[in-house]
Amino acid sequence: MSSPNPAQPAQLRQIPVMALSRWLREPLLHFLLLGAALFAAWNYFEPDLAPGAAATEIRLTPDDVLAMWTFFNSQWQRAPTAEEFGRMVENKVQEEVLYREAVAMGLDKDDTIVKRRMAQKLQFLAEDVAAAYEPGDAELEDWYAANADKFALPGRISFRQLYFSPDERGRQAYADAQAALATLTDQSVDTELAASFGDSFMLQNYYADRTPEQVAKEFGPVFAQAVFGAATGSWQGPVESGFGWHLVFVDSFVPGRQPAYAEVAPEVKTAWLAQQKVEAWRKAYDAMRAKYTVVLPVLPDSVDGLPAAPVASGDDQASQ
Amino acid sequence: MNPLTTKYSVLALLATSLASALVVAAEKNPERNAYFGETHLHTSWSVDAWIFGNRITGPADAYKYARGETIKHPMGFDIRIDTPLDFMGVTDHSEYVGVTKQANTPGSYVSTLPAAQPLIIKDPNSQADTNRVFSYLLKLAGSAPVAALVDPKVTSTVWKENVKLADEANEPGKFTAFCAYEWTSMPNQRNLHRNVFFRDCAKVPDYPFSALDSKAPTELWKWMDTQRKSGNEVLAISHNANVSDGWMYPTDVDQTTGRPIDAAWAESRMRNERLIEIKQGKGQSETHPLLSPNDEFANYEMYQTILGLPADVGRIDRIHGSFARQALKDGIAMQDQRGYNPYRFGMAGGSDSHNSASAYRHDNFFGMHGETDGTVERRFAGFLIGGTMDVRLENPGGLTGVWAEENTRSSIWDGMYRKETFGVSGPRMKVRLFGGWTYDKDILDASDWVKKSYAAGVPMGADLPSMPTGGKGTAPAFVVWAVKDPSSGNLDRIQIIKGWTQNGQSFEKVYDVAWSGDRKPDKWSGKVPAIRSTVDMEEATYTNDVGATELKTVWTDPEFDASQHAFYYARVLEIPTPRWTLIQAVQSGLAPPNTVPLTGQERAWSSPIWYTPSAEARKQAPAGMTVAALQTKGAKALDEAQLKELIVGKAFWMRNNVTGDQFSQNFTTEGNAILFRVGANANMPSAFGNVDRDGYQGTNYTYRIEGNELVIPVAQEPYSYRFYQQGDSYYAARSNEFGYANYEIIPAPQVATNPLTAVSNLFSIELGLTQAQKQQIVPMLEQELKQLSAVGKDARLSGEQKLEALRKMGVSFEAKVSPLLNEAQQQKFQAVREHLRERLLEAAGEKALKAAELKAMALFPDVHN
Repeated sequence: MSSPNPAQPAQLRQIPVMALSRWLREPLLHFLLLGAALFAAWNYFEPDLAPGAAATEIRLTPDDVLAMWTFFNSQWQRAPTAEEFGRMVENKVQEEVLYREAVAMGLDKDDTIVKRRMAQKLQFLAEDVAAAYEPGDAELEDWYAANADKFALPGRISFRQLYFSPDERGRQAYADAQAALATLTDQSVDTELAASFGDSFMLQNYYADRTPEQVAKEFGPVFAQAVFGAATGSWQGPVESGFGWHLVFVDSFVPGRQPAYAEVAPEVKTAWLAQQKVEAWRKAYDAMRAKYTVVLPVLPDSVDGLPAAPVASGDDQASQ
Repeated sequence: MNPLTTKYSVLALLATSLASALVVAAEKNPERNAYFGETHLHTSWSVDAWIFGNRITGPADAYKYARGETIKHPMGFDIRIDTPLDFMGVTDHSEYVGVTKQANTPGSYVSTLPAAQPLIIKDPNSQADTNRVFSYLLKLAGSAPVAALVDPKVTSTVWKENVKLADEANEPGKFTAFCAYEWTSMPNQRNLHRNVFFRDCAKVPDYPFSALDSKAPTELWKWMDTQRKSGNEVLAISHNANVSDGWMYPTDVDQTTGRPIDAAWAESRMRNERLIEIKQGKGQSETHPLLSPNDEFANYEMYQTILGLPADVGRIDRIHGSFARQALKDGIAMQDQRGYNPYRFGMAGGSDSHNSASAYRHDNFFGMHGETDGTVERRFAGFLIGGTMDVRLENPGGLTGVWAEENTRSSIWDGMYRKETFGVSGPRMKVRLFGGWTYDKDILDASDWVKKSYAAGVPMGADLPSMPTGGKGTAPAFVVWAVKDPSSGNLDRIQIIKGWTQNGQSFEKVYDVAWSGDRKPDKWSGKVPAIRSTVDMEEATYTNDVGATELKTVWTDPEFDASQHAFYYARVLEIPTPRWTLIQAVQSGLAPPNTVPLTGQERAWSSPIWYTPSAEARKQAPAGMTVAALQTKGAKALDEAQLKELIVGKAFWMRNNVTGDQFSQNFTTEGNAILFRVGANANMPSAFGNVDRDGYQGTNYTYRIEGNELVIPVAQEPYSYRFYQQGDSYYAARSNEFGYANYEIIPAPQVATNPLTAVSNLFSIELGLTQAQKQQIVPMLEQELKQLSAVGKDARLSGEQKLEALRKMGVSFEAKVSPLLNEAQQQKFQAVREHLRERLLEAAGEKALKAAELKAMALFPDVHN
């Protein structure tokens, strides 16, 4: 690596184009490499096919055979036939042969798919570590206190509604709803008069104990917001939904509340764990990242579409 | 109220609580509710999603998103669903194995293993201790495996983790999370993928059956049968038939194994593959304009390609065998001819997003494949993922609607199993379809119409009950109902798509059955005209000034034939709305891609209802002519030389003896063929292509003669005919018509013209009548011809009296016309009369001669004087 010297005139460093790079873009190679990557991932807990043996020897251990047998058994609820078992063994051998050949040819080098798969494995491992730790109640309770807003319960509402259909009334729907409202204003809530207004539709006349999400699913979000903002104890409206115009009579509104920890302990634990995984991964990555120094090129201003300079951080440096 | 200004406060209001266990659940509804869910989604746990750049979000995030929480797009920005889902199955699969959790669980088997001791965390708050364990894991991963930890007793796959996350997200009554995975079989880049859904997560197997185990669907079904036998109910949803290169719906041979399709194959498929994904982010698989040339809505979200095909390999995704409607038609033809139907499936929808999330709406589309289509610039540039997946053709994906009693795994899974499902293109319009024999026309006026409909018939996905005995003249009635998504466009129309079969041929017809506004169906085609588009192309907005919120009707099949197998499904269309390409062009100021439409009509597809004729009714069907019957009668198959003699450089008329439709076939010596003179209203059997358009445009196909077969490919499918001669008659059997010889060569049909129009036109043009002359002569001519027609129809006159009346008319006509013509015109008049006479006589065959002479005599009495 050359030493950083940002004062020098910007210049793109010539990157040597390897003849191999064309081959590395070949889909067939990608396919082979994907297989190799899968094998590499699998290999972690798969049988040791050739510990310390010659590169051309593929040796299966009793554990390998047992694992294959168990695997088949769990799939098919029976033991494999001799033929089926022979095929499984041959498949495994084929995979190993191709993998070794591919590695010997260096096909695992500089391949994005292989790199990304390895990186994904790292993340799984890091998260797995986080999942291993069992938190105590006190710890969870503290965490709950700090994240209470995530567990706030939504308000609930019970309301009646009358529907004025644009299919039936066209542009008159709104005016009809207004006229009906004027008639209903001084009436008691259980008046039979209400039933004489409105159009029949798939909607119910009465909705009990609904959350904003439930109302929004049924009527659309705009209506949900309007109903949750409406005064209780009288006909209100006209309120627009995705279907047309409505008059609403809110019977009761139970505001949202904060549940006690004991009510939601299992959910808190799940959410806590999810956060631990994110944290574990972030920390693991930060620790790994800290070991590296990155040397970035300084790009000329004249190249269209490139940012003025790549962003570097910490100990990172820019090279010409 | 302005929806734009309230959007943010609405989102705040709808913020989802993690403590949803405390939110009251709805009660069981015996008349069933529509639940909407995602049945096809990938997260970073899928290797390909990881490769696309989704390294952030896993199944737990996917469930959060589905329930309305904000999560991260793989490129780091926040994404949030407009309306939360009711259910979901994350369909990843992976082979990751992790034991750390078990090692750290006191008392577990793993925690006692010496090999696991380094995995145990002593101080969870110590970063050093955590790092130590992590490092050890890395060391393990990089070196020879520890035998004790690969014991199947120990290994816990990602699959198990997946199951655990589904269990955590699942909340009966509020949100259903299924245990599911995708079986990713792709023989030679042909997409044969299936998503596998388990009814009960407590019974899932230790390992899912993956495409590494077998790429043959038959092996998957066998495995599913085994699971079912051991009490683990499971079903599969096939997807992307449109990119299966014709392998999703075979009719003769299962190409993956070479095994001929038979009853056992069909039953195995139907036991296991209850549903198909009719639309997803990579296009719709309902039908193709070439398969459904009379369906003006067929050209919708097309996505024809072979996924991952190397750039230098010349292959084209086959159309035949790749679409659901054709499979439904082939299925009933197979049922009729062979006694089994592998294609009695219901409809589902999904996204197939690899972002752990999809928008399902064009106004919020953020791509499907991580970084590859994560910005508008990339989407518009037509980036080709894997070399062939054009991101411009992507769409935000569909959803599955299920009619179920309650939002639980068992209730929704049972709804999927009985195919009481529908697919939506994205917006959550609801559609119901019931079929029966006794529905009243006004059943929909009753407030309990749903209950009544269940009681007197069957819902979507089922078979019509037997036709009532003595039901001659009756036809099935369908109660069909649809309501819009309250946050999307109004509805344009409901259509019923009918398919039927006779003598090995299958047919389809699209009926408009309910529509918005006062549009009148076209007098001649019966089709309801297109609805006015309200899309503002400058602003990429639309209004609900047109369309309906709800559409419903009771529709009775006007062309029902009790002897024919048939199926019926409903398709609901929204009014035209802007496609994401238009919306994002307006937002970004970039020109939209010119490879996709800028607007579209969102839609829903119901599962079909099938009609099966009773043995008695089936006997009423015309027997038709089979090759076997022809040969029994002594017909001879044409050999190659005879076939060449008949075909090459020749033209002739053929009749489809099933429908009676006639068409002309031309074969050039250079190997080009055209099927000509077929109108838009002809009932063409399956897989003829767009003959109405192509014939009249002169667009030709190629043909070739291979042995004793005439091969005329449609797209890439080499449909062929064998010809048989019996006496002077030639019959042809088409390769996809189950051994029937349905076509017959016929003499050129007689074209009967309306003498009134023909003659009046001829006179005007040939005689070069001036405007003034025309005004005088044409009415005269028309008057005469009307009298002519009246005489012809007058039953009181004898034949001789008629002839006399006609002769008089002819004389009087000439007397009236001649004085109005100049000399040159008079000469031409005589010439035209002579020419007409000759043509009429020539054109008429022996049988028609007498009738023609009558006509001729009427116009030209001097001929017979």
